[in-house]
Amino acid sequence: MSVKVRQIDACRWRIPREGAMRTDGLVFVDRAMMAVLQKEKALEQVRNVATLPGIVGPSIAMPDIHWGYGFPIGGVAAFDAEQGVISPGGVGYDINCGVRLLRTELTVDEVRPRIEKLADELFRNVPSGVGSHRRDLKLSVAEERKVLTKGARWAVENGFGRVEDLEHIEEKGTLAGADPEVISDRALERGRNQLGTLGSGNHFLEVDLVEEIGDQQAANVLGLFPGQVTVTIHTGSRGLGYQVCDDHLRMMLHAAHKYGIELPDRQLCCAPLNSPEGKQYLAAMACAANFAFANRQLITAWVRESFERVLGKSSDELRISVIYDVCHNIAKMETHQFEGQTRRLCVHRKGATRAFPPGHADTPELYRSVGQPVLIPGDMGRYSYVLVGTQGAFEETFGSTCHGAGRVLSRHAAKKLARGRNIEAELAARGIIIRASSRATLAEEISESYKDVLDVVNVVEQAGIGKIVARLRPLAVVKG
Amino acid sequence: MNSFRLLEHTADMGIAAEGETLAALFQQAALGLRQIITACTDIQPSQEILVEVQGQDREELLVNWLSELLFLLESRQFLPAAFEIDNVTDYQLRARVRGETLDADRHYLEREIKAVTYHQIKVEETASGWRVQVFVDL
Repeated sequence: MSVKVRQIDACRWRIPREGAMRTDGLVFVDRAMMAVLQKEKALEQVRNVATLPGIVGPSIAMPDIHWGYGFPIGGVAAFDAEQGVISPGGVGYDINCGVRLLRTELTVDEVRPRIEKLADELFRNVPSGVGSHRRDLKLSVAEERKVLTKGARWAVENGFGRVEDLEHIEEKGTLAGADPEVISDRALERGRNQLGTLGSGNHFLEVDLVEEIGDQQAANVLGLFPGQVTVTIHTGSRGLGYQVCDDHLRMMLHAAHKYGIELPDRQLCCAPLNSPEGKQYLAAMACAANFAFANRQLITAWVRESFERVLGKSSDELRISVIYDVCHNIAKMETHQFEGQTRRLCVHRKGATRAFPPGHADTPELYRSVGQPVLIPGDMGRYSYVLVGTQGAFEETFGSTCHGAGRVLSRHAAKKLARGRNIEAELAARGIIIRASSRATLAEEISESYKDVLDVVNVVEQAGIGKIVARLRPLAVVKG
Repeated sequence: MNSFRLLEHTADMGIAAEGETLAALFQQAALGLRQIITACTDIQPSQEILVEVQGQDREELLVNWLSELLFLLESRQFLPAAFEIDNVTDYQLRARVRGETLDADRHYLEREIKAVTYHQIKVEETASGWRVQVFVDL
């Protein structure tokens, strides 16, 4: 079924309200992207989200929009705190999947001669791939519950990283309202062995080089300079988060029925924010978000350790610090101005990133003059981008922007394209060292599997919902 | 005919299974799930685990059955070799799953499945038995 769209300008399209929709859809894509989108089902999903009770403003989609379970990936939707709903499908299975960017004082010339060794060390030191974990990290159930309550703070208190790291994490690394009592034994068990692991698929750990600066002033404030070595970590809440989502989808299927909410798709199941079910999911989601913050914090500690070993300097000398850490699968209670009124809203961001503007109280003090850093990974063979949030995003998209490139090829199509090629050698020829624990992952994650992330960030910048600060290029990539 | 094939989706994968009986359908779906995770053929049926799951309907039952297998793999490192469905109704299933503990030297896991989803899931009765399509989140 084709979805009616009206072009507003070069990068905005409206899906007019019709049928059961309670509001319009608003899609940020260029003409070429729209042509592709109209052959897919993601626009129908934007429309489906618009039917949910209590939605405030349009059902929004970012330029990296693609089909997801229930909500589209790249979807943003805000719901009234009193009249609105919360939906696990609006967050996704990997709760608080996110990206962390670390800076160093190292330049590419200092690192290049030891890049193979560094890649080996990171691959050895940070568990990746299915079933892999650090044998020296054993969590009791009591300790795991503390992780769920404290998030990255738990990691710092246990010797993984520094107190100042916390200042540069969304929510300072601890999402409030977490209640471990609502987490199932099954979720706890799935999570126990997976804290401090990267996982597989599109998750990665990358050593990058700052290739180009787009906004000098913002780059200075963020501590970025050309030729600098940075590190990107992309992972989430692992099995614990997947199980929390799964447990609550089941609960929400029943809740939606109980509260008489009509669902165009089972995966959109939801409950009123102020219902017992809604509150329970929010408390459980916060636990999973905190698990993910702690996960990225542990990996940060092991990255520092790896750099120290390979470069033979202390991490104080290397000055490895956290630039920022963002969530791109989350629902947050936030205060926004909407049609001249101050509203308390639950903003769902599924494959979308918070992008708060300069001056916002939740933007860390250090960055308050330029806006909240936003981290947009591309694919393993091309580049990633660092952006900052804008006033435009705050006014138009509830302070949200895109999150990545988005797949264009199925895994099967990617494997077919990779057949007979030596992907490792191809990347090496472009100066990128790869370490992957699965051959399948390597083939399925080739550059061609993804959209060019530059197209995505260009739309974002043109629409004024994000500002490009720097482009990063991979030097070494660790995949699961 | 009892069979399964894997379905392709831009970001994820699915299983299309057919079975002459409901038990055969659930068995084929489990084989499909394992195929997504690993192409390994060297899995010894040396341990047996009894699995019992419930659901509000056949669809939820199937999701719960496949989710149980994921749980056994992730939490107990149990890699399944064979699935014997002893009893299946619309609301509950009892099965014996034979397999062994994951051995990194011999076993090679290709993909991590985050979850079994409810997307477009429908267990249907056909002229020759049963069929279902189920998608997983990767």
